[in-house]
Amino acid sequence: MEYVLSLLPLAIKMLIVVGILLLLPLPLTWLERKIAAHIQQRPGPMRVGWHGLLQPLADAIKLLTKEDHIPAQADRILFAVAPVVALVPPFLVFVAIPFGDPVQLFGTTVTLSLADLNVGLLFILAVSGIGVFGTILAGWASNSKYAVLGSLRSIAQMISYEIPMGFSVIGVVMLANSMQLSQIVAAQQGLWNIVLQPIGFFVFFVAGLAEAQRIPFDLPEAEGDLGAGYHTEYSGIRFSLFMLAEYLVLVALAFLNVLLFFGGWLGGPAFLPPFLWLFFKVGLFIWVFMWLRFTFPRYRYDQLMTIGWKVLLPLSLLNILVSGFLML
Amino acid sequence: MARTGVKRHSWIGRIFFADLLAGLRLTLGYMMSKTVTHHYPDYEKWVPYQRHRGHHFMNTNDQGEVNCVACGLCSVICPCDCITVIPFETEQGDRRPKVFDIDLARCLYCGLCEDACPADAIKLGQEYEVSTTNRATLKVHLEDLIAAPRKAEDGGLVRPARLDSEGTQRSVLRSGPSTGLDWWSRIRRHK
Repeated sequence: MEYVLSLLPLAIKMLIVVGILLLLPLPLTWLERKIAAHIQQRPGPMRVGWHGLLQPLADAIKLLTKEDHIPAQADRILFAVAPVVALVPPFLVFVAIPFGDPVQLFGTTVTLSLADLNVGLLFILAVSGIGVFGTILAGWASNSKYAVLGSLRSIAQMISYEIPMGFSVIGVVMLANSMQLSQIVAAQQGLWNIVLQPIGFFVFFVAGLAEAQRIPFDLPEAEGDLGAGYHTEYSGIRFSLFMLAEYLVLVALAFLNVLLFFGGWLGGPAFLPPFLWLFFKVGLFIWVFMWLRFTFPRYRYDQLMTIGWKVLLPLSLLNILVSGFLML
Repeated sequence: MARTGVKRHSWIGRIFFADLLAGLRLTLGYMMSKTVTHHYPDYEKWVPYQRHRGHHFMNTNDQGEVNCVACGLCSVICPCDCITVIPFETEQGDRRPKVFDIDLARCLYCGLCEDACPADAIKLGQEYEVSTTNRATLKVHLEDLIAAPRKAEDGGLVRPARLDSEGTQRSVLRSGPSTGLDWWSRIRRHK
């Protein structure tokens, strides 16, 4: 009984995090459409609710009532499993992300994270690597040339950018002497890592964009020029699960950028609780991702690979070298 | 790869992505500027310029008679053959149209009929909401042409309007001062 009670805070935290993460794409799709619209000098969704605020609900109803089509030659089980598999890694990433220092609540100390792993960063990089599985299963199970080619494209991109991404955070780990995210944030007490690791940040940011498959690196779903990639055959709610996963990766990426390079919850104004300050910074990053999306055209596939292997990888290695010399 | 218009940047500009930043600055400026979209048909409606070629109407003289003398020039010049004119003679001995039909489903709003008209009778106005679900209503007769609205005094403006969802299913201008918004002034242009 005692043991079960001790698990209660964790269960509550899990429910909160999962609930928020499941609902998060609703405001994000609205925001993305609004930002897209305003960059193009139009108002965007306006008719459903005040300034289109209920538009995501209308979208959700539409997606749920759409015909859920499975191609005749598809592997039905894998086809159904793939979107769920794609959805798991982004949720797992949030296990290791801390939202603030431990706080006192109802007489007990509550850590503002599900599990502040001491190998948190490694865990996140590893888990985000699993994201490839959903893509590969979706492409394979569809039994369509276009889907397979799209998933191969996507996998090549994910693997290519995983490497510079992993290397770019080594400088941060060297500075903090730890892979625990709360330790990394604590190490930025005086000075944010963006000042000490500008190249590392640049590489992480760009590689992250490619990992989250955002424009200008969204070749898996360049629907206009390449076919919609690995989810060509998907429709209705299954398709939207891929979109959900993509948004969650985006949010996780914004969190990582803030925690690793922008001091996490440190350095906020006194009246703001630290976790709200963290969320503010994360929101700013999400906005920047959307701003980038509606500014740049997408890269060609060979350019994408060139940037990954010939620019970002040497840059991240150089960053490790330079930070190593400076720390000696 | 076309090389025209490509600016050669210095290597410093290349390292710090000067062109990418210029693009970001431009879109940020757009994001901060006002939207230019009309809230049509719910709140706003575009009143076109007076030279706009929209819905047809028929001018009448001071006695309330149509100006048309049923000479048939409009019907002859019409490139898509959508005007039917059948004349008759009134008691005063004037030549007037007995039938004056325009098939708007065929009309391409070229304005040749109003150019050809010697009596200043057939005109193209600024109405543009002629869509319908019934093809028969696209055939307009002489009464419809006389009753159709004349040219508005102003044009080239966005004016407050509302959707008449019960009646005509059209966006109707709201009463009040006819000061509209100059839409073109809202568009952000390069200096």
